[in-house]
Amino acid sequence: MSPLLEVRSVTRRFGGLVAVDSVAFDVAEKEILSVIGPNGAGKSTLFKLIASFLKTSSGEVIFKGEKISDRSPHEVARRGVVRTFQETTIFRGMTVRDNVIVAHHLRSKASLAGYFFASGDARADEAAFARSADEICDFIGLGEIKDEMASNLPQGHLRALGIAIGLATDPAVLLLDEPFAGMNHDETMRTVELVRGVRDERGVTVLLVEHDMPAVMSISDRIVVLNFGQKIAEGTPAEIRADDKVIEAYLGAEDESIGL
Amino acid sequence: MGTGLRIAGVLLFLAIVFLGVPWAIQASGRWDFYYTLTSVALLAIASAGVWLTFYIGRINIGQGAYALTGGYVSAILVMQAGWNFWLTLPVAGIFCALVSVLIGLPILRLRGVYFAMVTLVLTEVARLTALALPITNGAKGITSIPLPGEVSILGLTLIPAIDTFGDVKLAFYLVAAALMVIVFAGMYRLVNSRIGHLCRSLQQNEELASSIGVNITYLRIVAYAISSFLGGIAGAMFVAISQSIYPSSFTVVDSVNFMLNCFLGGLAYVFGPILGTLVLYFGWDLLFETGRFQLLIYSSVLILIIVLLPNGLLSVFERKRATAR
Amino acid sequence: MEQILANGLYLGAQYALIALGLTLIFALMNVLNFAHGQMYVLGGFVTYTVYGQLGLPFFVALGCSALTLAVVGALIERFLFRPVLARSHREESSMLLAAGIAFFMDAVILLVFGEKQRGVPKIVGGVLNWDFRLIMPYDRILIGVLALLSIAAFILFMSYSRTGRALRAMAQDRVAAQLMGVDVDRYAMIGFALGAMLAGLVGGLLVTITGVNLGMGGPTSIKAFLMVMIGGAGVISGAIAGGFILGMMESVGLTLLSAYGDITYLVIFASLMVFLAIRPQGLMGKPWG
Repeated sequence: MSPLLEVRSVTRRFGGLVAVDSVAFDVAEKEILSVIGPNGAGKSTLFKLIASFLKTSSGEVIFKGEKISDRSPHEVARRGVVRTFQETTIFRGMTVRDNVIVAHHLRSKASLAGYFFASGDARADEAAFARSADEICDFIGLGEIKDEMASNLPQGHLRALGIAIGLATDPAVLLLDEPFAGMNHDETMRTVELVRGVRDERGVTVLLVEHDMPAVMSISDRIVVLNFGQKIAEGTPAEIRADDKVIEAYLGAEDESIGL
Repeated sequence: MGTGLRIAGVLLFLAIVFLGVPWAIQASGRWDFYYTLTSVALLAIASAGVWLTFYIGRINIGQGAYALTGGYVSAILVMQAGWNFWLTLPVAGIFCALVSVLIGLPILRLRGVYFAMVTLVLTEVARLTALALPITNGAKGITSIPLPGEVSILGLTLIPAIDTFGDVKLAFYLVAAALMVIVFAGMYRLVNSRIGHLCRSLQQNEELASSIGVNITYLRIVAYAISSFLGGIAGAMFVAISQSIYPSSFTVVDSVNFMLNCFLGGLAYVFGPILGTLVLYFGWDLLFETGRFQLLIYSSVLILIIVLLPNGLLSVFERKRATAR
Repeated sequence: MEQILANGLYLGAQYALIALGLTLIFALMNVLNFAHGQMYVLGGFVTYTVYGQLGLPFFVALGCSALTLAVVGALIERFLFRPVLARSHREESSMLLAAGIAFFMDAVILLVFGEKQRGVPKIVGGVLNWDFRLIMPYDRILIGVLALLSIAAFILFMSYSRTGRALRAMAQDRVAAQLMGVDVDRYAMIGFALGAMLAGLVGGLLVTITGVNLGMGGPTSIKAFLMVMIGGAGVISGAIAGGFILGMMESVGLTLLSAYGDITYLVIFASLMVFLAIRPQGLMGKPWG
């Protein structure tokens, strides 16, 4: 069976700097694959390249046999590859429920004019979106606070809302950008369960970029390790744990961050 | 707010606009208020367009350009092609919408002050273009434009000539007010439909909006085209009333005022532009009797309102609504 | 040619000084100060009163202009912008406030100084004549030099003084500056005062050449916006560049293209629009400010 998503020797340069250097790997359907690496390894850049928020310098990203790199973000989203954001990017001036409702955009059947004149399709859409939004809020654990203004939510809930927004688009592949960043142990464990649920119950393939090693080890089917923009390892959590190059990369990075 | 209350509010508003105002003017003998209030209605329409661009998160200081363009399109079609004014009205709007698509494609990528400044320059470009083109007759402008005539199909009168009823001022007022009511009814529907929801998503975070699959380029263009359409028809109506147009009919000052009308009413409220325009334009007129203190009182009141209600006049009701929930 | 360059340089120095004040306020508070032109006009009237009416020395008058505007700027920031920005949902609302302040200043100037054009006696007489290739009155040269010195002083102040460094840190990243212990409220006030002061200073300088009248405020604001946009919003070097570019463009435009009348301005504005559409961050700005 051919993979769902293929990253084919993708490269991205910024001026003289090569942020992502001929990185290649495949993602199978219903897999949870993590991309890890020390700070500045090019994880976030790779992420933006896959979601087409950045243009590649060379190489391509293939989804279901079709090239999706170097397009508009909304076209990539329409094909089913949807990203969430590292920062807690949400629609701050809307309620939780409205955030999720508006994110159903890709399931719209009516046209803009249809919405204006409240055509049959439009009314059906709006009812369906509202129902689905309630269901997603419950699934994510935001059901109790869905009428709360998003700007009033605490950090942990914001992250969950980001995932809820992603789910509302009915994605085939969900790209999660550092979903555990800044969380304590309990919050992380809860979010790990949530991400597993997204895959197990909704059949969504998950590609995540993450820093938190224990969380990544427990959640991932496979892991890709980047360092200085290059892929240095790929394998199951057990294989990665035993990989000398990975240990070296992380130790080296730690030295730097301590200031040696 | 209950549906019954809302309907009652709308009926009250319509009664004031179409019955109360003519009665009050009749009683007070201030016939000049007809012209003032007609202007308020038309400026509110142009401001509604600016408000819509605010609604997708853009500061638009270029509406004067479209009002001017719409005015010239109507004037030229009436004078040179002999069209009936009522036919030129939608054409002026559509022409402006098309122009705005061409201009919007490159400039709508810009945000914040960058977009604001380009649109400000656009107003100036429109004025200078009107000065330079032969068809607009330069600084002399186009004058002695006939009043709107009647529209008839096969001898059946659809719209009577504007001077049929004797009182042209009243007729123009009623037409402008009706146009305003239609425009704002449409705006209300737009904002409360899913389109409004999408516009809000654009206003709050364009990156996230595109990540959930919204074609932000397309939506921005649609909103901007509607905005410019409204600017165009408002400009065309003004020309019909004043029967003349000059390059200086709409300038940067007007563009800024359209924007201020929106701010004053409140950027979050679809009927904000009506209130903002009424307060700014009618208020200025009312203060005329204070003579040399007119500007001082006007600006002091303006500053006071902003400091007390930085989110616009209509935000007065905000706290009430929050507790009602 | 020398004449055009000299005129452009002289105009550019004044413009750059105006643009500096505007860009400083923008960089610090993200406020587009619509009242900047009115501040400039007020500065002109203060110098007119102190030097022209009371007969005190010109430099005293210039100091009065700068001081008056610094105080006015500080008060406006403290009692108007700060509370409004704190409670407004969208920071664009500050534009309405700025416009209100512009109207208010116009009203005050109208009541106090009237709407007539006012001028002052020349500060120095005589005309420099270099072989008829360059003719320039000495007072223009003096004012131009003073403007250049002020720009240099401002740059030195921003680069080396403690206050200047704090202001620059705040302009780059307000939150980071706050974390580093910069009292952002205090420095916002200082920055606003400084920006207003620069406007008042130019007003005081230029009143000796062009005189001053009420109607100059609005057009000056618009010109200042353009300069800031050409150079890049919120960037000091950009404001200086924008000022000199507009000064040169006007100087060249007025002499070489005057025969074509309004087309000149149409060309200038249309190309400006195209330039901004392609490069919104101006010559030296960072994208999205």
